[in-house]
Amino acid sequence: MKNLPALLLMATLSPGVSLAEAPAWNEIKGELKTALGTKGDPVRGQALFEPCTGCHRADASGRTSGAYPRLSGQHQSVLIKQIADIRSGKRSNPKMELFADEHVLNAYEIADIAVYLNALPIHATNGKGPGKAVARGEEIYSGNCVKCHGDEGEGDAEKFYPMVAAQHFKYLLRELKMIRDGDRKNANPEMVKVVKAYNDHDLEAVADYMSNFGPPKKPEAAAPEAPEVPETPAAPPATP
Amino acid sequence: MNTNTRDTSPSTQTRRGAVASILLSCALAATSAGAAPPAPAPKLSATCAACHGQDGNSGIPMFPKIAGQQEDYIVKQLRDFQSGRRKSNVMAPVVATLSVDDMMSLAQYYSKQKVKPTPTGQKQSVAFGKLVYVDGDEETGLPACIGCHKASGSGHLLYPRIGGQHAQYVAQQLKSFATGDRANDVSHFMRVAAKRMTEEELQSVADYLAGLDEK
Repeated sequence: MKNLPALLLMATLSPGVSLAEAPAWNEIKGELKTALGTKGDPVRGQALFEPCTGCHRADASGRTSGAYPRLSGQHQSVLIKQIADIRSGKRSNPKMELFADEHVLNAYEIADIAVYLNALPIHATNGKGPGKAVARGEEIYSGNCVKCHGDEGEGDAEKFYPMVAAQHFKYLLRELKMIRDGDRKNANPEMVKVVKAYNDHDLEAVADYMSNFGPPKKPEAAAPEAPEVPETPAAPPATP
Repeated sequence: MNTNTRDTSPSTQTRRGAVASILLSCALAATSAGAAPPAPAPKLSATCAACHGQDGNSGIPMFPKIAGQQEDYIVKQLRDFQSGRRKSNVMAPVVATLSVDDMMSLAQYYSKQKVKPTPTGQKQSVAFGKLVYVDGDEETGLPACIGCHKASGSGHLLYPRIGGQHAQYVAQQLKSFATGDRANDVSHFMRVAAKRMTEEELQSVADYLAGLDEK
């Protein structure tokens, strides 16, 4: 992802990042900074991701049940931030945290996994909503969500806004509720404010609407940005 | 290149000679046309055979089959038994004097044998075990075994073959991982995963694996 160094520079120079203030939801420091500044190795990432396929599936398409999200095609910055946040405890994820802790990965390896996943094709269909309240969902999405998550649900890599397109309905709904109810603590406070206004039916409607986005037409990992396979083969994972 | 001063005892030299001759005979066998005769067993394997069987298919359910086991995995386990990272009163004295070369020649030999499954015939348990093997348990966050051990149960590299293994041995190892008695999984992955298995899931996966035949 060519914009990562720029993102890092912006964050470093930004006057908004100050020690005097409470840490921002997107503050770039520690291993998040390390991983964002690392050029990941997709070959190594593929090997490191292997144990993860027990839940996220071999093609990283997740589960249509929504129990585990799709990761294929997700922005590198989003993948890195979420893994780093789960490791630091900012995002609570009891099912995953022990499989992604310091015994399993270091910060550089997070970058390896992210570059690998980002370049994966977004195939296999996602779990769709019941389709009952798509119009209401569209109304909510276009009034609130579209500014950050985009017309096609493509998100914004530079701002850590995830791609929501092709994600499973039940996963979207569960995370929306967790963000609203304060159970997903690494969320953007601006988003928390927005979703607080909505009840379960509204959130179901907007998740339903989002689940019908196909894969974005301009995925981040288009040909020019596809990671290069290094000339020398990567070492096998140290910690299977 | 300087000589290896680590171990120059006559017995080790003899073993190295044996290893070299085995490798040579393998190479000769590979170059001859037609069906190559099976590689001769390393001399040291006589000790292994007592418990693991001549071809690595142990006939005693408490001892694992090592036929068709991943070569890298065998070496790692032998080293772990030797260093004490994997604890076993049975294996520790047996591996105490093995050199790395010994371990590699044994691993190469047993990895090339074919595992012979021993189905338990527990049909219901096998069916449920397959579900757990392929899907895990979304409620408890138990990952599917298939991710690392593959659909055939073959594993690869450091992920062991578990397909065709004795049900009793698989169940016992899963319990050891769950309690932490076995703790030589570097990433802690198996300790975490095994702890999330119910008794029924654990027994069923073991039953499923016992009859899993390599495709």
